[in-house]
Amino acid sequence: MRDAIYYFVMVPMVYGAAAIFISGLLFKLMVAVFSPGIKGKLGLYPRKLPFIAGVAKDAFLISSAFKKDKLLWFFVMAFHASFILLFLGHLELIRNFDFLQIIPHNVFLGSGVVGIVLIVATLYFLFRRFRSPWREISVPEDFLLLLTLFVAMLFGSHMHLAARYGIAGFDIPLEDYRAYLWGLVTLKPVLPDGITFSPHYIIVVLHVFFANLFIMLFPFSKMIHSVFAFFGQSLKRK
Amino acid sequence: MDNNKITELRRLMKSRLNRPMRYYLDLCTRCGLCYDTCHVYYGIPKKEYSPVGRSEVVRRLFKKYFRPSGKLFPYWGDATGLDDAVMDEVYEAAFSCTGCRRCMVHCPFGIDIPHILSMAKLLLIGNETAPEELVMLADAAVEKGNSVEFFKDGFKEVIGNLEKEVRQRLGLPLSEGLIPLEKKGARVLYVGLSGAHSIVHPAVVFNKAGENWTLSYFEGVNFGAFVGDPGKMELIAQRVIKEAIELGVEEVVIVECGTAYRIMKFLMGKLPFKVSSIVEVIHRYISEGRIKVKEKVISEPLTYHDPCQLGRNAGVFDEPREVLSLLAADYREMSPTREYNWCCGGGGGLVALDNEEFRIKSGKAKKDQIVATGAKIVVSACENCIMQLGTIQSGYGLDIEVKSLTELVAENLVE
Repeated sequence: MRDAIYYFVMVPMVYGAAAIFISGLLFKLMVAVFSPGIKGKLGLYPRKLPFIAGVAKDAFLISSAFKKDKLLWFFVMAFHASFILLFLGHLELIRNFDFLQIIPHNVFLGSGVVGIVLIVATLYFLFRRFRSPWREISVPEDFLLLLTLFVAMLFGSHMHLAARYGIAGFDIPLEDYRAYLWGLVTLKPVLPDGITFSPHYIIVVLHVFFANLFIMLFPFSKMIHSVFAFFGQSLKRK
Repeated sequence: MDNNKITELRRLMKSRLNRPMRYYLDLCTRCGLCYDTCHVYYGIPKKEYSPVGRSEVVRRLFKKYFRPSGKLFPYWGDATGLDDAVMDEVYEAAFSCTGCRRCMVHCPFGIDIPHILSMAKLLLIGNETAPEELVMLADAAVEKGNSVEFFKDGFKEVIGNLEKEVRQRLGLPLSEGLIPLEKKGARVLYVGLSGAHSIVHPAVVFNKAGENWTLSYFEGVNFGAFVGDPGKMELIAQRVIKEAIELGVEEVVIVECGTAYRIMKFLMGKLPFKVSSIVEVIHRYISEGRIKVKEKVISEPLTYHDPCQLGRNAGVFDEPREVLSLLAADYREMSPTREYNWCCGGGGGLVALDNEEFRIKSGKAKKDQIVATGAKIVVSACENCIMQLGTIQSGYGLDIEVKSLTELVAENLVE
């Protein structure tokens, strides 16, 4: 029974999460894009930069947050920069990409710092919401998403950091991760013994479970801001 | 609230689900960066008066009726259904907001909260709880558009009297033609307000500049926009558009009314004429040497209040400052200024409502700004702002004089 549950999380649920993520994102985009436009313009002034540079600056550097709350801005930037590294790190767990090794590094990149930064930033976002006035404006979604992210990152980070203690059998070899993830990508799923017989298999399963959960919620929650932010910023400059 | 009413209100909500609305309703992460950016919250620090607090009222309804998660797990996003208590919240959210969009400047996603609140206003119209004063004023404006011929004679008589005042101000022997009406071949159609001052001062400027202009039969203010009725807003704006096209003018110049200017310039789509604010036109006349003002004639410290619809919502920042810097020997800038300037609290039709106590409280940010400058004269370029600045002046007992920019220019033209 336990093996069946673990297998469900590691294989069918991953496919389910990916399908929900892609179709959900497409659905949300289609609904928005095919909604009627307006004949007017909703822009703001002044506009010191050309359109694309302005949108990119506001979306990537979040200058409004920098002006208003520098501590929040710091954690937001640290979080998003680390999230990109996290994505690249996971790409390298699927297979080797030469272009990602321009600066040679071990896989997973960041020596564990990426996960720690994400966890600290997530905790900052979470605890910030315990204080007034942010507590009053928060809804359960805000807390639950952060908690899901926190738990997924905690297990993920643990998998990375614990790998140093190879003597205890915690180190799951890179080849096994790649066999598992490449199997998923090529629709020939396998669960290598290096993962399933590891004393940390439960940690891997929990990490994948919460990551699946987060990915499934992504298109239907406020996480959609990662896509719609560019549209919002575009409207501001039209 | 019965089911038929709920169905009708849901239909109205759906009618406002345009593309920007979809983005704005889904985008907010409740980061709270906008929380204290509203002048109302500054004066009355309650969640209901924070931008995010207001938009969440609408967002909760949207989730309830248009999101599967809101239907299945309302707890997840705090989704709420329509009832009378919620409609009270909707009213408070919609008609405590002036539509200044200062919150939008601070939003990391550029969410236009007044755009979200346009859905709240539409719900109030459907619920028949929109402010009666605004509904009546909007209806009257629409009616004037339908039967303008009926109004023309009375209007001409009033204008005849105003022409005498303009003649006196300009020191001319004859008053005929100083405020032209229905002038075919005019280059400029000027759109004023119902108050005489909104016609006399610009008329002095236009005549002094030798402009080929004509006055609109209609007032620029758009109560359809204030009440949140897109259909009436369109009809009211179309009155002027139709008149401008019939007269074949090149440029429509809008009185000192931020909303009228923004609607005509940005919300009516592509138009076959140029749209300018009277402030831009005055600046242009001075730059081209068509009029001259008495330089540094005002010795008392003077400051300028950026009308939100003219400043951050339309980009007219420099022109009024350059004009005032010519007139004033001691021009002082408010802090924060330009796109970060605090709203005075008079926009969105709020000055037309019986809410003076609320507007005095919500004007606290503006009062503090004015006091900090030490200015004795506060100038603005929007009728709503001028009226609200007057309320702030009397409400807080400030020793200041509130002036309109056009008035100041018209009073200080070189002979």
